[in-house]
Amino acid sequence: MKTAAVATALGLTGEPSFSQAKEEYDLAVISGEPIAATKKALEVMGGLSRFVKKGARVLLKPNMSFATPPERASTTHPLVVATVAQACIDAGAQQVLVVDHTLHRPELCLERTGIREACKPIKGCHVLSVQERKFFKETKVPQGKVLDRVEVVKEVLEGYVLINLPVAKSHSTTGVSLGLKGLMGLILDRESFHSQYNINEAIADLATVIKPHLTVLDATRALASGGPGGPGDVKKPNLVIAGVDPVAVDAYGVSVVPWYGQHVKARQVEHLLIAHKRGIGKIDIDDLKILREKA
Amino acid sequence: MRSLIQAFSLLLFSAFFVLATYGLPDWIPADLYLRLDPLLGLNAVLAAREVIGRALWSLITLGATLVVGRFFCAYVCPMGATIDFLDLLFFRKKKRSPLKKEGSLRKVKYVLLIVFIACALVGFSLVYWMDPIALLTRIYTFVFYPLAVSLINLFLDLLRPFFRVLGWVSLSHLHLMEPAFYMATITLLILAGVIALNRLAPRFWCRYLCPLGALLSLVSPLGLFRRKVSERCNECHQCARNCPMGAILENPRETAHPECIQCRTCRRVCPEEAVSFPPSLPAGGEYSSVDLSRRGFFYSLAGGLTFGLVASKTPFKPLEGKHQLIRPPGALPESEFLRTCIRCGECMKSCLTNTLQPSLWESGLAGLWTPRLNLRLGPCEQNCNLCGRVCPTQAIRSLSLEEKNHAKIGTAVIKKEVCLVWAQNKLCLICDEICPYNAIVFRPLEGYRRPVVIASKCNGCGFCEQRCPVKGESAIVIVPNGEIRLKDGSYIKEAKRLQLEFKPDPGDDKFILDESGFEVEEGKKESEPPPSPKGFLPN
Repeated sequence: MKTAAVATALGLTGEPSFSQAKEEYDLAVISGEPIAATKKALEVMGGLSRFVKKGARVLLKPNMSFATPPERASTTHPLVVATVAQACIDAGAQQVLVVDHTLHRPELCLERTGIREACKPIKGCHVLSVQERKFFKETKVPQGKVLDRVEVVKEVLEGYVLINLPVAKSHSTTGVSLGLKGLMGLILDRESFHSQYNINEAIADLATVIKPHLTVLDATRALASGGPGGPGDVKKPNLVIAGVDPVAVDAYGVSVVPWYGQHVKARQVEHLLIAHKRGIGKIDIDDLKILREKA
Repeated sequence: MRSLIQAFSLLLFSAFFVLATYGLPDWIPADLYLRLDPLLGLNAVLAAREVIGRALWSLITLGATLVVGRFFCAYVCPMGATIDFLDLLFFRKKKRSPLKKEGSLRKVKYVLLIVFIACALVGFSLVYWMDPIALLTRIYTFVFYPLAVSLINLFLDLLRPFFRVLGWVSLSHLHLMEPAFYMATITLLILAGVIALNRLAPRFWCRYLCPLGALLSLVSPLGLFRRKVSERCNECHQCARNCPMGAILENPRETAHPECIQCRTCRRVCPEEAVSFPPSLPAGGEYSSVDLSRRGFFYSLAGGLTFGLVASKTPFKPLEGKHQLIRPPGALPESEFLRTCIRCGECMKSCLTNTLQPSLWESGLAGLWTPRLNLRLGPCEQNCNLCGRVCPTQAIRSLSLEEKNHAKIGTAVIKKEVCLVWAQNKLCLICDEICPYNAIVFRPLEGYRRPVVIASKCNGCGFCEQRCPVKGESAIVIVPNGEIRLKDGSYIKEAKRLQLEFKPDPGDDKFILDESGFEVEEGKKESEPPPSPKGFLPN
């Protein structure tokens, strides 16, 4: 990762000028290089100032759970993360935390994913891994089917603006791992989702308490098989997909590549279907207003 | 002046110790002090019966001792510094009367030295028990390091509210991984013992027990600097009372040169300024003060040889070829490994995942304190090759990352009777999900998709064993079967020759595509339309 190059590229951001289209589209689907596509996607969603007010504190949740390099596609592209982080600062955020509860050793994850280095030049942005119970807080899940209570990263409950930055990848248990599945990176006990609960119900339960203000799905690369950790078949859709509705973003994400060599529909992803049925978001992308553009 | 150099040396030792962790730059020899220890070098070379490159560094210490004398103990030895420091802390004001059997106690260290070397000669490594540098590194690893980290974390926890208020985000979220080791309390007791002995005499350890001190004292009388007392001496015995080594005899004009560590305390305390350390050519006959009779020498030698031979005639010896422990990647073949390893604990200190733990009795006395992997505790991380890089005797070979990842340490075996999928038909894929090499695949067997291990792709890293959600012993364990242990040569080539492939590649997901859902209905395979991939609902 060339830090200098990132810094220059990010420096060109300035204020988002695209404001007429504010809240007009449900989804922005932008093709292009990570930085340009991310910027454009944010613009189409009405600019980050729509979500991040002056002095706001922001929690970015990329996937940096694995100590693997960006080309392996099991983690969010560092440039997507850095672009959003910079945009938050530009929108006046006083503090941007980039947080994940990693599966591999935290220092390795921050280093190998390239995310720490990409975010280094951004003042006010902190890349952190939280593993210890003291950084989590228990919350009730009133609408939970299988989850009664869950311990989530404190900041989620402390009024931080949450922006989810998942990567598009396959997942051996849940089919795909996109935005909703990625929220598992904000809880303490991820293991029990696998061993104790029906994981698809649990993910939908979690989505009732952790509600990202915006989801920016990094499909610049997609790990079409071998997920979540890879190695696997890495496709290059070169897409960044942004939206407020977490289910809709994921539903679109399902359509961008064939998973394990097959085209699947969003309704075939059990946790998305459950979330849709529970009214967390819309799964049928044909009914949505989508702007497809090149960056 | 001496205290300053000594403190600096201890600091340097500690700095190297701290640096022996992930991110260690290639040019820093973190195991420097262990390399400089001639006793460890000699022991490893004798026991392994071959020249070990890193052990040659200890020739520097030997050479310097030949020239200067036994300065190492007073200026360089971090164990000496630790003892001096803690002595100052605990026993400064205690009156210590001379020990009764001084003379025979002094022989103990020579007896120990001979016993250890005799054991090494028959290929049984025992010196780690008492070599001060190995012992101190172990004490640092198992006692000071975990203690320091938990104190830092405690401190961070206390200050966390302030950090939050001040908006110091990184500090308010800082938590250091707390290392944990077996044998920690035993090691603490050993340290306590070494320090407690100081109650009897200052530097009790150095005077009477230290085998490295014994080795250096054999060389030191040839040194250039030696204590001289001038005419001015009025026999006030100040020097004798203050000598930390008790190296000044009845007649304060005489010195037991092999015991003198050149700390020059005597010169400092002499009211008449009668003591000096001028360079002079060594006179002969000094060895007479190494007061070990010929009989004593032969008894020790015979005792050591006997002990070494008997200790290696336990069932552990013939079982070495079938050993049960998972050794670090790059560890020499088991027998050579046991002989060469000096149990300093440096590999365990540097281990990124804390999986390296000291053995207790699992491989007998010969395997005490040797590193083994506890894969339930942590996996062996592919991006880390530190254990070999910091090994002072190269009992674990220093390998490049790629070589290291080909040094297969074992093979995963699924215990079907406890595996959630095999035994209970549950939906669990954690081992498959976490495996970095796609060595675990799901195949339709007995009506369900079941995980199976492809042994030729498994290098034993143990992510599966660590992550398995079954309580207690994992349902997938790494056994040493299939491990590659090479004395020399390339692990990559050996792995190729054995037709193993640890390359992360897109894997074996075609098997996953064979069937839809988790449950497989047998016999329906052919007639059905193409099923959904694993994890998806049917279309």
